[in-house]
Amino acid sequence: MLKKRLVPKLLIKHRLLGCTVRPVLVTTRTFADSIEVGDPVSQAKIYEAQMADELIVLNIDGTPIGGDAMMLDLIARLASETFMPLAVGGGVRAVGDFDTLLASGADKVTVNQAAVADPSLIDEAARRYGAQVVVVSIDYRVVDDRPEVFVDHAAQSTGRGPIEWAREAVARGAGEILLTNADRDGTGQGLDIELARELTDAVAVPVILSGGCGLAAHFGEGFIDGGAEAVAAGTFFSFRDQNPIQTRSHIMNAGVPVRMET
Amino acid sequence: MSAARAHVGLIDYEAGNVRSIENALDHLGAQVSRVRDAAELEGKTHLLLPGVGAFGHCADKLRATGLVPHLERWAIADERPLLGICVGMQLLADRGEELGDHAGLGFVGGTVRKLASAPPTVRVPHVGWNDVEFAASFGDFAAGERADFYFDHSFAYHDPVHGEVLGTAEHGEKFAAIVRRGKLIAAQFHPEKSQRAGLRFLKAFLGIAPC
Repeated sequence: MLKKRLVPKLLIKHRLLGCTVRPVLVTTRTFADSIEVGDPVSQAKIYEAQMADELIVLNIDGTPIGGDAMMLDLIARLASETFMPLAVGGGVRAVGDFDTLLASGADKVTVNQAAVADPSLIDEAARRYGAQVVVVSIDYRVVDDRPEVFVDHAAQSTGRGPIEWAREAVARGAGEILLTNADRDGTGQGLDIELARELTDAVAVPVILSGGCGLAAHFGEGFIDGGAEAVAAGTFFSFRDQNPIQTRSHIMNAGVPVRMET
Repeated sequence: MSAARAHVGLIDYEAGNVRSIENALDHLGAQVSRVRDAAELEGKTHLLLPGVGAFGHCADKLRATGLVPHLERWAIADERPLLGICVGMQLLADRGEELGDHAGLGFVGGTVRKLASAPPTVRVPHVGWNDVEFAASFGDFAAGERADFYFDHSFAYHDPVHGEVLGTAEHGEKFAAIVRRGKLIAAQFHPEKSQRAGLRFLKAFLGIAPC
């Protein structure tokens, strides 16, 4: 039986140290107030030892990732020092970036703003690499009680609804949807289960749910009530005295199938 | 044979995440070289055929290297160890139904067809960790043992003609997760991404005697 996935999210910023640009791992709150929490490669190794099922690695500086030597080097290091699946994104602009990232060691590529600007990017990437490589990331905020897709690091509304956009993305070939509630990001108040359920009812591909995990119980809600195949979290795993192993036991006790040994 | 003495030829036909496979084999102590033409097969003890992308596209790219007859001699006539991974497994079938009907290499035979989606329980692509049940022993995996491996695919292998199903997985329907024809082994999952179980699997392949 296919297991539900716990997915630590590594948010990466560029930092100039002396003459070189180095990647730093950060957490954010509602996509702002970034706090440095350490080195991404060391943290990834810890997550692997703690049986994380997959990693999402996102460049949150908005630099085009295809020409970003620091990010490509980071992906290559993560791929050589861990043996777990990597979904990589943040600054994916063109279909050629998929090639570059896969060659660097990514297994899946997440695309957000560029797909909103030109949805045919999804068709082209899915045709070349297969749907299973294409993860469409959708960030949204609730404006006047209505969820709206935001881009530009969740600063700019597109006026579109996330469900309608997700349906189009899947019709064009997206293999997974990463749905993130930007208002809840880093707050620990829990996932937006209502919209998650609406989305998982609307599409037949796996949904990765993110934004708001503060307790192990929130993961269980995402799987059971939200219908998610995977729940991703950044802040939750970075600061708390919580790790994927403990969270996993809690989730398993709630009756959700999760991987128990490596 | 110990992993440390193996010299793996990684077939490089620009259709896969070869870096991760290289890293995993390197971690196990094997020597790894990329193989782009027949001359580069020289001195290798094991071959590995990766693959990410659409079936037809990968088949065309592999044929364009001119390596197919050499792979057939290696794996079938000479019965030397070869491991196919993901689309590198699927290509061993007679045909694949992804984006049209495409001819495979037929080394193991059978068909690759789309997994049926049945939400909310069965979503396609099949992404994540799923258990594989071994029909026979392989390396230190015992017959009947179950282990979780990482899958990421929409099309699955059915009904091998020339070999056996060594491992079965289920996602809505049962499919061949591992097939075997002598020393030719192929897996739908990604052992290089499957943490400890994946390394055990690769080690079992490297443990196959080269001749």
